[in-house]
Amino acid sequence: MEQLLNELNLKIVETLNLVDVAPDDIDPDDHLIGGKLGLDSIDILELVMMIEKDYAVKIESKELAAKVFSSIKSLAGYIYENSDGRS
Amino acid sequence: MVDIKVFIAGMGVVSPAGRGMKSLKNWIKQGGRRIRPLNLFAVSSENLLPVGEVSESFEVLEIPRSHQLAFAAAQEAMADSQVPPDAVIIGATTGGILTTEMHLKNHVSDPEAFAYHAVGSVAEYIAGKYHCKGPIITVSNACSSGTTAIKIALEMLRSGQVRRVLAGGVDSLCRLTYYGFKSLQLIDPAGARPLDQDRRGMSVGEAAAMILLVADEATSANAIIEILGGGLSCDAYHPTSPHPDGEGALNAMREAIRDAGISPSVIDYINLHGTGTPDNDLSEAKALKSLFGDNLPPLSSVKGAFGHSLGAAGAVEAVISAISISEGIIPANTGCQTPDQNLGLDPVMEPIKKKTQIVLSNSFGFGGNNAALVMGISREKKPAPAKKNLPLTIEGFASITGVGDIDKTMECISAGKDCRGMSSLSEISRALQPSIIRRLKRLPRMALALALAACKNANLQETPSSVFLGTGWGPLSETYDFLKKLFESDEQFTSPTDFIGSVHNAPAGQVAISLGAKGPNITTTGGDYSFEQSLLTASILTDKIDASFLVIGADEFHETLSPLFDPSVKGDEIRSDGGGAICLKRSDVSHGPKLCPVFFENTADNPYIIPTLIGKLGDFRIIEKRFGTIMVGIPSACRQEGEKQLQEFLALSDFHQPVIDYRRLTGEFASASAVATALAAEFIRNGKIPASLCDGDDYSLDGKGILIVGFGKFVTAIEITP
Repeated sequence: MEQLLNELNLKIVETLNLVDVAPDDIDPDDHLIGGKLGLDSIDILELVMMIEKDYAVKIESKELAAKVFSSIKSLAGYIYENSDGRS
Repeated sequence: MVDIKVFIAGMGVVSPAGRGMKSLKNWIKQGGRRIRPLNLFAVSSENLLPVGEVSESFEVLEIPRSHQLAFAAAQEAMADSQVPPDAVIIGATTGGILTTEMHLKNHVSDPEAFAYHAVGSVAEYIAGKYHCKGPIITVSNACSSGTTAIKIALEMLRSGQVRRVLAGGVDSLCRLTYYGFKSLQLIDPAGARPLDQDRRGMSVGEAAAMILLVADEATSANAIIEILGGGLSCDAYHPTSPHPDGEGALNAMREAIRDAGISPSVIDYINLHGTGTPDNDLSEAKALKSLFGDNLPPLSSVKGAFGHSLGAAGAVEAVISAISISEGIIPANTGCQTPDQNLGLDPVMEPIKKKTQIVLSNSFGFGGNNAALVMGISREKKPAPAKKNLPLTIEGFASITGVGDIDKTMECISAGKDCRGMSSLSEISRALQPSIIRRLKRLPRMALALALAACKNANLQETPSSVFLGTGWGPLSETYDFLKKLFESDEQFTSPTDFIGSVHNAPAGQVAISLGAKGPNITTTGGDYSFEQSLLTASILTDKIDASFLVIGADEFHETLSPLFDPSVKGDEIRSDGGGAICLKRSDVSHGPKLCPVFFENTADNPYIIPTLIGKLGDFRIIEKRFGTIMVGIPSACRQEGEKQLQEFLALSDFHQPVIDYRRLTGEFASASAVATALAAEFIRNGKIPASLCDGDDYSLDGKGILIVGFGKFVTAIEITP
């Protein structure tokens, strides 16, 4: 799980081109949407695509995304539970 | 000045209801859902979604579907007309991309195959079919393009410059928009259900509608319906989401109603934008409530029947509105089972017979663009406020070339060097905040940098009201990256960010958001003449705008796509891109050079184009007296033709002062004329042309102006005078 969290931090910074954020700075409990990372709905959709591609986990509605992306921790948990152990 | 009225003299349409007005009329009377699973191109079963597809198939494969749809609609609109239109103004978002996608997928490397790629090529194709001398304008304002095109046509006719305009909108289904909207989770898997409590999104559609608009005359039985007014605005809020309270939508509707000289209470029917996305329908409902209170007239969205045909939608819905008036029928809000209580709207559930005299039609789109039209049975109205006709004063300007900003460009030119090449992305982004531009690729960064630099140069204290942007090829990096990711993943994955960025009007939308510019926000596209289209559009639409506004021209070079799309690229061994921005204000008191886009005509079927240009500029003696220098733009793909035109111009005008062939300085890219315009403003400000450009000493302009002339497929002229 720890490894998945670190991996996600790195991928989020890369995918969203967060130029002024270091992956280690992201707290697993931080709010992703509207938090200090300053992510918005477009970023979340970009991450949805990344997660489907890299983890084969689909997040197909806005409502679900709002729940899953509440923090890195919850995102990692969702991926862990839904990825058939592929990650 | 007499008020000019603008009537509909002919209409044509191809939609999921079928080909021709008759099929659309039948649908309006009978209703019914025309959304079906996609058939036009193959997709995997898990990607199969309902769309609004036109059942028509076209035999000539070299001509893209958008062009053929547009021509089919134009043929019907022009059926009773023997005279060519004076102008063609078409709203479109993707042009020939359906064909381009196929070629890119198959790694086709022959530029000929992409000859009809450009979004602007649809309008050129239609203009060619009807021998239209121009001007020709393509509005690429996302989903509000069609309505915006009609508003521009309305103002062009009102200005008295033209008498007959063929205006409309077109878009075919394509992978870019199909997968793009899917990636934004904006598609309702059950098909669009506008205003329904369970609505989950839109359905992508395709269509074309063309309307022949004429000034002041009733030439056919159809010519009883008048375009009474139109309004444009920008949310300046978010690239894709509408303003939550519908602020921009409200502004556009208010402006359309004011422009029409009516009060909201006389509106008999509202044709909603009504895409079926939760956000759109909610913000539109809020805007309607703000404007009408509890006295809403009957209203409906047709997008649950036809899907959303993007750039065509506004034009199709203008035709539907016209039918609604002529037939006295209000179409049904198809697809909605249970209206959403939270919206507080009461949509028309089945077609109803009702005498309808005045209709309001809404279109909103990405980039926060809003457009509304009011049309109706011709009526007396209070005369419009007199046009001011104040000159366009240049308050500031900026450019980006291969060597950097305008200061570096001037330095380079003064030293006798050219400024071809491409500035690095970091050089372009120097004055831009990293957090703001992290999602932006090359073209939107250029646009933003140019806008900020022009405002700074103007020492602007106020927010510019409007943004007009011309781009020959749009955001190529985003378009390419989107399609590359799509094809490499076997059509499984895309980037929603790239889709949003790929829309032609995304850069102008970014500028509006950054500056808070809430007036009209318009992106035009037409190859090497895109910036000129933009200037012309700005000059038509800003007559009543007191505040400053921006006109920008920008294009990026893209390693793969530019050589395929832009035939001039191969004419220069150095790859170049860049652009220019001009901050303008309507004023006869403020100091600064004056700008006037004075000429824009199509070279095809126009043997007397050069004498016509000279006539427009005065005559040969006046040209020599008024202008100290002519800056000439000849795209390398049209070198031969352009040189001939230039020689004819010089011979007929008897012009013996310096002529600057500016593409030799800027390199080959579609918006080179925007750089030339910024440079001309700088020359005028300095009162002289650098010696390096005129064989000898600095050339004093002696109070004379500079004429910027474009040759080639079109001939254009922009006057800049002290």
